Amino acid sequence: MALPLPDAEWPSKNKPYQIGVRARSFVPSFTKTNDTSSMTNDQIQQKPGVEVLSKMDDEALITIFQGGDHDVYRFLVERHQERIRNLLFSIFHDRNYVDDLAQEVFIKAYQALPRFRFEASFYTWLYRIAVNKSRDELRKRKIRRFFSFQTLDEGIEKELNTRLSVQPEDRDTQELVALGLQSLPKKFRIAVVLKDIDGLSYEEIAEVMQCELGTVKSRISRARSMLRKALKPLLEEV
Amino acid sequence: MKKINEKQMDQLLSQYIDGRLTENELQKVESLLSQDMSAQRRLKELKQLKDLLISKTKLTPDIGFWTRFSDVLEQPKKDENNFLPFKRKFVPVMSAAAAVVAVVVVILVFQNRIQLLNYFTEKSQVVKEVYEKNRLQGQLLPLFSKVDKDRALQFSLFGTLPFDDNSKAELRVDEQSKKGYRIEVGKDLKNKTKPITFDHFLAEVKPTSKQKQLIDSLLELTSRRIESSVLIGENDVVAIAPDFPNINKMMVTNIAACLEPNQRIQLERLLEANDAPYTISVQSGSVISDDHIFQSIPQSPRDNRFVIITPDTMMYSQLYIDFDSLRKQMEENFIAFKLRREEMLKRMMGKEFQRMQRNVPYSQPVQSFGNEELFNVEINVPAEEIDQQQMHVLIQPRIRKRIIKTTTPNHSIEMRVLSDTTSKDLSR
Repeated sequence: MALPLPDAEWPSKNKPYQIGVRARSFVPSFTKTNDTSSMTNDQIQQKPGVEVLSKMDDEALITIFQGGDHDVYRFLVERHQERIRNLLFSIFHDRNYVDDLAQEVFIKAYQALPRFRFEASFYTWLYRIAVNKSRDELRKRKIRRFFSFQTLDEGIEKELNTRLSVQPEDRDTQELVALGLQSLPKKFRIAVVLKDIDGLSYEEIAEVMQCELGTVKSRISRARSMLRKALKPLLEEV
Repeated sequence: MKKINEKQMDQLLSQYIDGRLTENELQKVESLLSQDMSAQRRLKELKQLKDLLISKTKLTPDIGFWTRFSDVLEQPKKDENNFLPFKRKFVPVMSAAAAVVAVVVVILVFQNRIQLLNYFTEKSQVVKEVYEKNRLQGQLLPLFSKVDKDRALQFSLFGTLPFDDNSKAELRVDEQSKKGYRIEVGKDLKNKTKPITFDHFLAEVKPTSKQKQLIDSLLELTSRRIESSVLIGENDVVAIAPDFPNINKMMVTNIAACLEPNQRIQLERLLEANDAPYTISVQSGSVISDDHIFQSIPQSPRDNRFVIITPDTMMYSQLYIDFDSLRKQMEENFIAFKLRREEMLKRMMGKEFQRMQRNVPYSQPVQSFGNEELFNVEINVPAEEIDQQQMHVLIQPRIRKRIIKTTTPNHSIEMRVLSDTTSKDLSR
């Protein structure tokens, strides 16, 4: 298939555009503007190739998305899916569940992206969606536990203590850390995960969690304090 | 230096390892760490904890994530199909509210269950009453003008009552046992009895003028009784007083009581020739020639009781109808407005009809079966036995030439209504 030549305003002049079959193959068919057949020749020629798109920053991709080309959402998803999946994995510690939740987060972002106003960075915005989704999910789980008369938190603490009581060489550190996180209340858990695992700054966490900076400091401190007590045998060993 | 509590210490140390302390706070923490061994231990543990968290296992990049995600994006979202009148986030609240309301309703219903049950029973009874009243009102008509002297005589002697002028449809009463009756209503040309007129009767029996006058009065009274015992309506609705067959029985004995023995023989011949349901004992009983004889005519219908029979149902009921008033109004209006008799009767019956009581305490019909053209109903009614002492002349059921096939149990009435005969013929 003959591909159109690159336009001068795009930097990768030496490489042919990759729009067309390859570029469109991943595009969801229901999106309104994914079909280039409705585009004018000028629009087709102005559309950058995959190589170019993959090197663009988030804001540029969002601008293109908001301009009607929803194809570029793939680049945003592929760029951030690992962080979002890890965030959800740290919060829920359930590998099988992470994919479903991550998909829901990206669907939500896809629906909200046309209204994105560039007031925050895309990834903190995406984190906020993920955190809100996590809060909803944790709340639902709490309700389910209430109606099933289970006390899951007590179960986690019991499990943690059981695992900590074995010989140090038999301990699975990663599992213990995960259980320790699971034993924390959700607001402390999310705060410490964002800080220590995802490496967000206090300001970013305040933005993601939509709370004051002082609250973030307090939550992180409380979370660490609680974790320190919960994992004390492990820390003494280290 | 002012002593700080554990919580404050943890917060300071936490921010210390993150490098978030101000100059003053930093000095404070360093001073604390140089003096306090526990603070040093805490700091060490916090650092270890942070290292553990940083080194926590990460998920490897999922290269198939987009492929799966794009499939999900193409599917219509279930969340968009929210049929609820409120947002999905309110579902738990609304569910809880609905549950509370349901519990309250259940408690209220339980507390007032007797009143509610009574209320609904009463209402359903009222609805039934209204329905049945509307259905029957103005439809069931007495046999005014259709029961003349000839027909009264016909019924008195032979238990048959023609409904229409051509005598195609008739009602037939036939005693099959001491306690049971058969009543046929309908058109039956094969078994149709030959009509006997009053003149024919006079010619055969040859009564004296006094006897004739007495029998004439008896037949007049019989007409009234028949009129108030049988109501016929459209759609094959028939209402008959349960003790109606007794009129036939008592009239045979009363007419015989008016006659001399030799006249009774003539009467018996007439009865036999026409296959009457009863045979008279010629020699029994004295001749009665006074008004005393009228006292033995049964008051019909007793307690306003009727058996209402439709092709679908059969029920006992008390129907209050002021026949005397109705008859009077009929005569007046007929002269005044010259309306068609049937129309006028319908109008007046709509006003006069009053259902007194539903469910007269008789046992319910035991059997009901039939087809489009003919249906039979077997019902049990209380014994309306006539005291043998009341019979001036003894009579007994005749062994008849024309035996009507029957499976009627003792003490029952069988109604056979041939559809499309009674009402249509009547309304002509």
